[in-house]
Amino acid sequence: MTHTVVIAEDDPDIRGLVAIAAAKAGLDVLDVVSDGRAALNSIRLYKPDLAILDISMPELTGIEVCRAVRADESIGDVRIVLLSASVEAEAIEQGLGAGADHFFPKPFSTRALVEWLAVGKEVRP
Amino acid sequence: MSTLVRVKAWFAEALDSPSTTVKQAATTAGMLAAIVILYLVPGIEITNAGLAGVGVVLIAGVSILAVIATHVPRLDPVVMIIPAIDIVAIGCFRGGTGGAISPFAALLILPVIWLASGDGRRHVLYATVLTAFALFLPFLIGATEPNGVVDIVRGLFVPLVYAGAAGIVNELARQGRRQLNSIQALADDKEVMLQRTVEFAARLQESELNYRAADRLFRGVWAAVTEQSVVGTDVTGLIDAWNPGATKILGPSADDAQDKMYIFDFHLQEELLDRARELHYPPGETVLNPGFSALVESARLGNSETREWTYVRADGSHVPVQLSVTKRIDDDGETVGYLFVALDVTQAREVARLKDEFVGLISHELRTPLSSILGYLELLRDDEDAPLAPEQLQYLGVAERNAHRLLRLVGDLLFTAQVESGNFPLDSREVELESIIGASLDTARPAASAAGVEVRQELPAEPALVHGDPTRLGQAIDNLMSNAIKFTPRGGAVTIALELTETSAVVSVRDTGMGIPEAEMDKLFSRFFRATTATRNAVPGVGLGLTITKAIITAHRGQMDVTSEEGVGTKFSVTLPRIRVAARV
Repeated sequence: MTHTVVIAEDDPDIRGLVAIAAAKAGLDVLDVVSDGRAALNSIRLYKPDLAILDISMPELTGIEVCRAVRADESIGDVRIVLLSASVEAEAIEQGLGAGADHFFPKPFSTRALVEWLAVGKEVRP
Repeated sequence: MSTLVRVKAWFAEALDSPSTTVKQAATTAGMLAAIVILYLVPGIEITNAGLAGVGVVLIAGVSILAVIATHVPRLDPVVMIIPAIDIVAIGCFRGGTGGAISPFAALLILPVIWLASGDGRRHVLYATVLTAFALFLPFLIGATEPNGVVDIVRGLFVPLVYAGAAGIVNELARQGRRQLNSIQALADDKEVMLQRTVEFAARLQESELNYRAADRLFRGVWAAVTEQSVVGTDVTGLIDAWNPGATKILGPSADDAQDKMYIFDFHLQEELLDRARELHYPPGETVLNPGFSALVESARLGNSETREWTYVRADGSHVPVQLSVTKRIDDDGETVGYLFVALDVTQAREVARLKDEFVGLISHELRTPLSSILGYLELLRDDEDAPLAPEQLQYLGVAERNAHRLLRLVGDLLFTAQVESGNFPLDSREVELESIIGASLDTARPAASAAGVEVRQELPAEPALVHGDPTRLGQAIDNLMSNAIKFTPRGGAVTIALELTETSAVVSVRDTGMGIPEAEMDKLFSRFFRATTATRNAVPGVGLGLTITKAIITAHRGQMDVTSEEGVGTKFSVTLPRIRVAARV
């Protein structure tokens, strides 16, 4: 069974990089969006296995999307990975507190992201 | 001065305080009159020319002596010899001009009065004895025979009468002298008091001038402080001083605030109560407003305290202030109130906030493209379908290394900004310095061997526990190590050592490098500073490492020291408070 993923990131180059990493990890990329609201709509629509969200995005931040997803019972289990250029312990805590499963500080190693996704897609919460 | 005035002055002086000459003048004049009478009046005869001559000569002699004594103050103590000789001389003259029947015995009264006026009752005795001697003189030297008992009685009775007169004169003179003395003493006292009054008045005037100058200065300063609010209160917080700055920051004029409002009326009540709770002032348990007690807690104990508070303006708006509280004391050292000096920090806070925001934004904006660069480079390197040639891999390595360098720089800049704004997160726990040093050695070794620098370690057997953030401490020691390696020429050595004392752990990193010029030592820890030895030798860097290192160490309540000699080497020491194992148990 192929696992699915939705990617939300406002920077097009990093968006592309994450999409490549997801593809390398054997995931089916359902949607790639560039803001928080689109991300939330896409997750509601596709109900993917995984969502990779940048924290600082227009409309809604990754953390806000994360909270909304966790609050929406119709969506079900989605493994959420947050990306952020901020390395503050505070931001990490906030993200994990909002229900994210993992956090990658930017710059992240594509290799490490691929490895995590390859393992993480199989683990059901 | 006219002659008349001069004569008048001389006359007044001569009569008011008679000189020896003036006193003697009476006797001399009497003697001259006697001589004239002797020649003019028939029936008065010289019975003994020798004796009368001795008398005249003696009088002439002592008259000269009197004139001399007038001008020679040194002779004052013996001046009484003059009337004494006068008495003897008149005795001789009397003896030579008829003895008992001589009409000149009366002259004796002149020197007797002078002698009797001398200071002390003994002068009465002298006058009496000398008078008796003068009257008996003719008999004593055998010039005449006493004319029966009458002469004897006269020789004794007359001196006794004279003694009486002398006694009265002596007493009067004594009283006069005493009066004079007391008048003199009073005059002296008056003089001294006058002098003191004059001095006191001068001092008073001087201190009044000083006071006025100080008052003017104070008023000037008070009015000039328009950017800080300075408020004085009594011990209950009732405002009694209010400067223009207070009006500017808080609203009310001095007249509206003084004696009418309390300092705590201008504070955010929640803040005061929170602080009161922090200091364990149970509400209602003190006569004062508990918030006010909290506000002046440190000042009351004699310390000056500066902390941030929120003032509430008369219109209800809030002002963040940095407030220093000190107590006011009276002459006896009793606390009579408090002084509140506040600086409006609204702008400072806004600037700090904008700076943090800016730095955060810049850091984010720089990190995002770097993330792309590094990510895509990694994709290139990991592309299994099209593996790169060794040469291409080498180029890729250079690009990656530089992207990482840029990333570190961004991190350092962000961290420096955090340090400056005081927003500096430390994740502190108990850490073993050996493990941090070990990790730093592992990090440093590849660079050291590439640079041909030997790395040595000197570690004690005992474990060294400190309280700190292992990541930050590691960063600090990494910085020192990488600096030491960068600044040491090929073939040199870098030694990291750990020394322990009872209370502290000292980590030192010393190198055999190019050293730091002495003139630049004090600038070493400033941001973006680079030693001339570094720029001259083209050692790469931007000058943030030591700034960051020092900030980390300071945040750990540690201390950084450096000693260096140009061309010989440099030693950086970090002293951290040590947790003693015994203290932990």
